[in-house]
Amino acid sequence: MLQLLVAGLTVGSEYGLIALGIHIILRATRVVNFAQGEFTIVGGLVALTCVDVLHLNMWFALAGATLAGFALGLAFEIVVLRPAGRTGEAGVTIATIGAVFVLLYGHALVPGWGSNPQPLPGFGGPATGSVELAGATVQVQSLWVFALLIAALAVLYLFFERTYFGKAIRAAAENPLGARLIGIDVNSTRAVSVALGIALAAYGGTIIGPITLVGGAAGFALTIKGFVAAIVGGLESPIGCVAGGLVVGVLQVFLQSRLPYDIADPIVYSVLLVMLLVRPQGLFGRRDAVRD
Amino acid sequence: MSRPRALLEVRALHAGYGALDVLRGVDLEVRAGELVAVLGPNGAGKSTLLRSISRYDATLRSGAIVFDGVDLARATTERTVRLGCLQVPEGRQLFARLSVDDNLRLGAFVRRRASLDAELSAVYERFAPLAQRRGQPAFTLSGGEQQMLAIGRALMARPKLLMLDEPSTGLAPQVVEQLFAIASELARSGTALLIVEQNAYLTLRHADRAYVLEGGRVALAGTASELMRDERVKAIYLGGSTA
Ligand SMILES: Nc1ncnc2c1ncn2[C@@H]1O[C@H](COP(=O)(O)OP(=O)(O)O)[C@@H](O)[C@H]1O
Ligand SMILES: [Mg+2]
Repeated sequence: MLQLLVAGLTVGSEYGLIALGIHIILRATRVVNFAQGEFTIVGGLVALTCVDVLHLNMWFALAGATLAGFALGLAFEIVVLRPAGRTGEAGVTIATIGAVFVLLYGHALVPGWGSNPQPLPGFGGPATGSVELAGATVQVQSLWVFALLIAALAVLYLFFERTYFGKAIRAAAENPLGARLIGIDVNSTRAVSVALGIALAAYGGTIIGPITLVGGAAGFALTIKGFVAAIVGGLESPIGCVAGGLVVGVLQVFLQSRLPYDIADPIVYSVLLVMLLVRPQGLFGRRDAVRD
Repeated sequence: MSRPRALLEVRALHAGYGALDVLRGVDLEVRAGELVAVLGPNGAGKSTLLRSISRYDATLRSGAIVFDGVDLARATTERTVRLGCLQVPEGRQLFARLSVDDNLRLGAFVRRRASLDAELSAVYERFAPLAQRRGQPAFTLSGGEQQMLAIGRALMARPKLLMLDEPSTGLAPQVVEQLFAIASELARSGTALLIVEQNAYLTLRHADRAYVLEGGRVALAGTASELMRDERVKAIYLGGSTA
């Protein structure tokens, strides 16, 4: 039981980070980034390259993947989303769907990446170590995932709540007109928001890598799980997104332990529809948070 | 007697959106320390004029906007703010979820490396009701307080010119009086003000000069007292009311 819970919270952490990335990008651009899961996959693969080719340990690989994600996110906003924005929000949404296919088929062509999932070493030791905890066997890497999730949330919280630039980004996301009229360059804050969202995807893809393998074609399924998480927790609330991810992860693992895989997953997806009908503000959101 | 060069000079300005021409030859100037009003009916192009000056979204077709000696034709909105040309737009456009304090501090975005404490306390002194609400999110303020916050946020950028777009909308008459008193005080202390209003009589009582915009052109211009006596202004805008 505890073992299943830990396993659920582990995958749930990844869903939560994907949901949070979707939330940050949505706030800044008013568009859902359907490529969020693909960027998670690419982030894990960058970490793989850091380990295999550059012979770095997982900590440096994590830093490398996160920075690469940030740079990739900046380029994604400036080269793809911004020009697509001239045709309106629908154009931007379609551009993110286009990016799904470019990243999905593109990453398989990169030497050393390929289309099959590959293992990553663990943080602070081999990927397979486990410990006894309250009578259950728990993977050490799960504990690292939780610690790294909390670290990321703390850094983001401090950035958005305590720093001047973080507040400027929130201001520009909330009211671009008001922001421009006090001299905030809304194009720049939007690019940084997208970059942060993609960096978070790469970070999430790397911290879960030792457990789930990296690479492969599961990126779009990750996006949808992240989106379910965001809807479950409340798209408007960053904490709700993470909590929603944990809920979805636990739900999925429990269902998979009782039901065949091809029945469990559709049930998880249908949670999306049920939530949209019954509680569009999410489990943790307030009703007045549903707007636009 | 040579008059000082105007802080803001708008000359033969034509501007619009896409294929739509809104401003069709507007001439206007504002000097340091002046309170200038722009009056006119709905749709006359008053907001478009301010949005053109702020280089926000209207397309300039011809003519010139010169602020503090700088031609704004190629300027970005950010540059106009850096030059000291600030606008408090229609609807205030506050950061509703951020605190009063954060809204004000962000107003100084273009000079964020400077110490903001002196300006911040000056704003809280001028707008006493805001001081009690420093930590509250902006959306919890009353309409009048929100307008004060919007003006305070713009003041944090140390404007030479402050443009207000219909600041009286939705506010009780006493609150409007208070706002105009503050505007007059700002003008006396050297900040130029350009105020767009539909409420002509009230605005003329506080303004030094005024322009009446109609169909994208200046239909009338003069000192406030001239315009207040002008039969055409009375007929069109005051509708005989003296409220
Ligand atoms: N962003 C915009 N895009 C297209 N047309 C606009 C825009 N803003 C205003 N207009 C049009 O320009 C004209 C003048 O509007 P505006 O400048 O807002 O007038 P006022 O502020 O005097 O009421 C109106 O016909 C309005 O519909
Ligand atoms: Mg208007």
